Amino acid sequence: MLVLRPVEPNDLPQLQQLARDSLVGVTSLPDDSERLSEKIAASCASFDSDVAAQGPENYFFVLEDLDTRRLVGCSEILATAGFNEPFYSLRNRHFTSASRELNIEHGVPALSLCHDLSGHTLLRGFHIDAALVRTPFSELLSRARLLFIAAHAPRFAEAVITEIVGYSDEQGHSPFWDALGKHFFDLPYVEAERLCGLQSRTFLAELMPQYPIYVPMLPQAAQDCIGRIHPDGQEAFDILEREGFETNSYIDLFDAGPTLYARTANIRSIALSQTAKVQEEPLIDARGRYLVSNDALHGFRAVVAELDFQPGQPLALDPALCAALNVRAGGTIRVIAL
Amino acid sequence: MIVRPVQVSDLPALMTLVQQAGPGFTTLPANEDRLAHRVRWAQRAFAEQVERADADYLFVLEDDEQRVIGVSALAGAVGLREPWYNYRVGLTVSSAPDLGIQRQIPTLFLNNELTGQSELCSLFLRHDQRHGSNGRLLSLGRLLFVAEFPHLFGEKMIAELRGSADEQGCSPFWDSLGRHFFQMDFSHADHLSGLGNKAFIAELMPRQPLYTCLLTEQAQAVIGQAHPNTEPALKILQSEGFAHKGYIDIFDGGPVIEAPIRSIRTVRDSLELTLSIGTPDDQAPLWLIHNRRLENCRITVAPGRRVGSSLVIDRLTAKRLQLQPGNSVRAVPLPNQQQQAVAA
Repeated sequence: MLVLRPVEPNDLPQLQQLARDSLVGVTSLPDDSERLSEKIAASCASFDSDVAAQGPENYFFVLEDLDTRRLVGCSEILATAGFNEPFYSLRNRHFTSASRELNIEHGVPALSLCHDLSGHTLLRGFHIDAALVRTPFSELLSRARLLFIAAHAPRFAEAVITEIVGYSDEQGHSPFWDALGKHFFDLPYVEAERLCGLQSRTFLAELMPQYPIYVPMLPQAAQDCIGRIHPDGQEAFDILEREGFETNSYIDLFDAGPTLYARTANIRSIALSQTAKVQEEPLIDARGRYLVSNDALHGFRAVVAELDFQPGQPLALDPALCAALNVRAGGTIRVIAL
Repeated sequence: MIVRPVQVSDLPALMTLVQQAGPGFTTLPANEDRLAHRVRWAQRAFAEQVERADADYLFVLEDDEQRVIGVSALAGAVGLREPWYNYRVGLTVSSAPDLGIQRQIPTLFLNNELTGQSELCSLFLRHDQRHGSNGRLLSLGRLLFVAEFPHLFGEKMIAELRGSADEQGCSPFWDSLGRHFFQMDFSHADHLSGLGNKAFIAELMPRQPLYTCLLTEQAQAVIGQAHPNTEPALKILQSEGFAHKGYIDIFDGGPVIEAPIRSIRTVRDSLELTLSIGTPDDQAPLWLIHNRRLENCRITVAPGRRVGSSLVIDRLTAKRLQLQPGNSVRAVPLPNQQQQAVAA
């Protein structure tokens, strides 16, 4: 059985393997044991913290195969983007050229560096074993974060965002990076993303152009990257789009990948998930597949399960599920259809 | 050969001249109404009836048969009636020493910094007259006029030189920049600009600085580069002390050259001398000579011999200048070079 749980200090070696396999643009997963142990420690502190409001916390989850003790995926929630350091994006908006005298008016899209997304809760660090792509377990890995937010709403913002990895080719070339970032750094895209993971992303963002970039002045290949998703980022995008997330005018400043945005209260798994009391008994007749989580904090667990769920009724869970979710009869769990 | 203020009676000749100059000569479009308007304004300027902001001193080069063979102008001030825009080529540095990153990115800053300065403009010399000292007389004569009447001008003199363009008149700078904001080709924009819409067009341009690394390579290559046709004019002005200090035209990227008026060679070295009629020797150097009058201004080039505070010139030259012996002239030796100003 695969269970999602908060990361623990002794997950480090396996986590580093996951980081090694993850997509270049997932900069919150650096292949660097020192940075990863810092992240684990920060996450443990976040789960342990007794906060009443959102702050700098970062909640780091792993997906573990209970039978093999192998980690097969990970994902994170940063409670507040831009809390400890500015959170940069590029805003894609029209600059209007108008002259009454010449009877000319038209808009030119321009990219401007901004901090507009600061203060929102950020989903990031999504990575799953290639064998599990497009299975219910990637839904679990992504959406369990939303169940966690539902259970601990005061710790999070009123809006949730995520940055989807933008397009780069098989050799790791990003046409957008080559047209823009490269002029300011003189580094290949892959190297820049690696530095982002190791150093502060903000630090690099501050080297980026502070004045607007007029889109028609970029080469066509770079323009085509604006809002374009890396093929391996498509699933992460699709899952959240089904949750009600939408793209907006913000893109990533390195690879121009899209940003997804949703009001927290409107996110499907948050708005529609329901809580139920546990009845520990063998399952008779499963009627559907669900994501199930306990509402705990550092004992948070989430699984995919076949259930016979009736709203408002106690929910029968077999002993194996109860153990995996670390709940007993009478405990509260949260359920959403897969 | 003299340089003198334009007159209304010059209009037909001027029209013919401007037609020969072609559509690239945007500040003097071949349009009779506009030309007539400009000539009338020029006459008022020479009569000191207009403010510096509106002063447009339009000169013609006339041969001894009273044929108009060239034209040049001076604007008392740019930018005082409508905004005057340039880009200044500045620099943005992207630096992270720890990562070994140090990038210098030339950056274009839109500005009105040349507001109130005076401008050399609208110079054209008939193709078959581009020889001898004609080009220098037409171009530098204006500067001798400035030397005589500095109170009519600003602190600096500027000249916008036509930027690089291909044989079809396409400007790589425009294609990489302006076109995105106007959706029209360069010759059309240039034409609108000549019709007096330059400030309107400029106001369609983005106000924020632009990184040149985002321009095409062809556009980057022509920043501050003068069109080959303007090279002779450029050389003449450079030897007068004009230099490119980083301002460029916002449309074609051509250089704006500038000089503080007091340090322009013709202004600085010009002398007030007493005219004396005689026979200069065969080896007498050429002088650029001004009759020190405003409305009846006459400027010419002739051999002259300086004797103390007198300048000895021949009778015909004095006649061209409409002066008598004993009158005062402002004169400066003509630089000994063969460049022909043909367009600036």
